[in-house]
Amino acid sequence: MTTATPTVDAPFHAERPAFWWLLEREVMRFLIVWRYALVGPVMSTLLFVIVFGTALGRHVDGINGIGYGQFIVPGLLAQSMVNVGFFNGTTSLFEARRDRYINDVFASPLRWWEINAALVGGGIVRATIVAVATLTLALPLIGGIGVAHPVVLILGTPGVLLVAAQVGVIAGSLAQSLDHVNSMESVILLPLGFVGGVFYSVTDLPRFWAVLSHLDPVFWLVQVERIGLLGRGDVGAGWALLAVWGLAALLSLWSALIFATGRLKP
Amino acid sequence: MTAALSICGLTKTYDGGFTAVASLDLEIPDGAFFGLLGPNGAGKTTIIGSMCNIVRPTAGTLQVFGHDHRSREARHLIGLAEQEINLDRFLSIRQILIYHAGYHGLGRRFARERADELLALFRLDHKADARGYELSGGMQRRLVLARALMHRPRLLILDEPTAGVDVELRSEIWRLVKELNAAGTTILLTTHYLEEAETLCDEIALLRGGEIVARGSSVSLRARYGARDITEIYQRVIAAESLP
Repeated sequence: MTTATPTVDAPFHAERPAFWWLLEREVMRFLIVWRYALVGPVMSTLLFVIVFGTALGRHVDGINGIGYGQFIVPGLLAQSMVNVGFFNGTTSLFEARRDRYINDVFASPLRWWEINAALVGGGIVRATIVAVATLTLALPLIGGIGVAHPVVLILGTPGVLLVAAQVGVIAGSLAQSLDHVNSMESVILLPLGFVGGVFYSVTDLPRFWAVLSHLDPVFWLVQVERIGLLGRGDVGAGWALLAVWGLAALLSLWSALIFATGRLKP
Repeated sequence: MTAALSICGLTKTYDGGFTAVASLDLEIPDGAFFGLLGPNGAGKTTIIGSMCNIVRPTAGTLQVFGHDHRSREARHLIGLAEQEINLDRFLSIRQILIYHAGYHGLGRRFARERADELLALFRLDHKADARGYELSGGMQRRLVLARALMHRPRLLILDEPTAGVDVELRSEIWRLVKELNAAGTTILLTTHYLEEAETLCDEIALLRGGEIVARGSSVSLRARYGARDITEIYQRVIAAESLP
């Protein structure tokens, strides 16, 4: 036998932190199904870039002096991060709950915040890979773009990733069935994406709709990426960063409450 | 000596208002082979879930070798083989064992060695790269048991470990569990095979409606009820009193 039986009065000691094991499992989970988990989202975002950016974009005037193809890329990037974060959290956590192998994690010495952080971390890693791959492949299609405000991009993108991953974990913890997961995507996520200013500037909307757009969380995620990459947005960089990190903090608190209070357990 | 398990005033009322366990007290000595018997819905799985941090108790204190049941120490000391087959569908069976060990803090090398050791012991080594759902029912049951043993628990909880397995595998599982108990591991067992519980367990508790209605060694229980065997006691204490 290779390991000693634990003594009953010794404090718990980990040779390798259990958190890393769970995070590794979360990353490996989507790498095993990389065709669906990584290639699929990259391809679908690239199709948007090709159809709207390069094909239709030729017939559309630029927005705020920016070519249409370049204009939509930051928004599509934010949208794809949110979608990937959502699907990662729901797939991982909902299936773990449905098949009850989450019990193996709850019964282990992992602390609630380690479980929460590992699930969120998995979503962040996956969304980062998809975002980097999308951007790398999309840029040649639209003739490239620079990074106008690197500080905004560096400060804002982790916030966008955190929001995306937390949304997935919260949805995964609330979902009661696969139908529930699908309806969350089609009833909440998709409409929020469409009215979040991915394909247009909200300043072009009638005042009522422009104001309403500001209530859409996706709008702020899009703004951070657009200001960071293109240097122009519908709001100031400071407000966009504040909104994204405020949202990230709110969702993190919600997610933490779910795990800390044991709501995933009967 | 510190008890392996000490439960005081455990109550569990589920969201719908159903009280599965009410003010239950139970102490299991270190090194015991303890049987918890009762019909479906008696509260066995709720008690086990509460001990293992997968069910939120409504009230009561639970200690594992003197540690609060929610502490990392307590959780590291317990190994749980649940009644339901609950395997990570994304991982191979070797990875299931390795990651389980990791959740309990084992290093990668030890986790791999221990996984290979248990895969061989449970004759699953030829299926090491298969997914859990590709295994037969008996193999899945063996895998769940192997997973529970990965981190060498001091208290092994077996919730219906032989449900749906053939006679040969049942006797294999019992032989292994007896060896573990002889080596010092405390065993808490729930089973519907009453005659086997009688043979294996030092002590038995009969559970009905979330309460312990009888407890003792099989000899003392037989003497108390003037019964031939535990099945007769079960019929009198549980089945008969459950009738309308």
